[in-house]
Amino acid sequence: MERVVEIVPEAGLHARPAAKFVETANEYDAEITVAPTENGEAGEAVAASSMIAVTSLGVKHGEKVKLTAEGEDAKAALDALGEVLSTPEDGEK
Amino acid sequence: MDPNDIDTLLPRDLVSLEEPPAEKEACIEHLLDTAVQAGRVKDRETALDALLAREEETTTGVGMGIGIPHAQTDAVTQPTVAFVRSERGVDFDAMDDEPATLIFMLLVPEGRDEDHLDMLSSLSRALVHEDVRNSLHEAESPEDIRETLKEAVA
Repeated sequence: MERVVEIVPEAGLHARPAAKFVETANEYDAEITVAPTENGEAGEAVAASSMIAVTSLGVKHGEKVKLTAEGEDAKAALDALGEVLSTPEDGEK
Repeated sequence: MDPNDIDTLLPRDLVSLEEPPAEKEACIEHLLDTAVQAGRVKDRETALDALLAREEETTTGVGMGIGIPHAQTDAVTQPTVAFVRSERGVDFDAMDDEPATLIFMLLVPEGRDEDHLDMLSSLSRALVHEDVRNSLHEAESPEDIRETLKEAVA
């Protein structure tokens, strides 16, 4: 199962949004990966459960990532992660 | 700016193989002092406030034994990295509960968001690899550390 999501928080997939993303990924019984995309093409995917791997992507605000999930909770995981990435941080519009 | 320019970002006097303080905040201050002594920081307190404010937000313990305390601050005029290695490990409150043994401090001038994020991702990309982490643990001199990083981010 996969989904492409745009990064809404100003910080990009970094700092608090990244921490929230990784925490959320670890809550579900699913193998989840995240890959950067460029012009609709997905790059190399990394484990969504690892903070350093997620930080290594350097994904910025307004860029899109491709999420994939396998396992019992795959859909619920993608829903929750999509929500994290699509939600501005407190104080942002 | 080239986020992978180790010669400029991490000169020799910003690499320490001495055991840092065991507590996270003290360890961050220790790294900052290294950068202050190297003449990279014009206002220590401002830099420290920025680093600790970032830790308040969420920890920079990114797991796999890596800590990357970082901040954007006008206390520096150029992007600066300082490195310290710990045998004992420093509790960075990482999600994987691994104490940090390889610790990098990043300071980037205010407003250079792109450089900041590029440096963080470049460093993280290198450190995801176990062989890079092992080489950094086995390094016997600051020069070994810098060579390993140069190869890893190339």
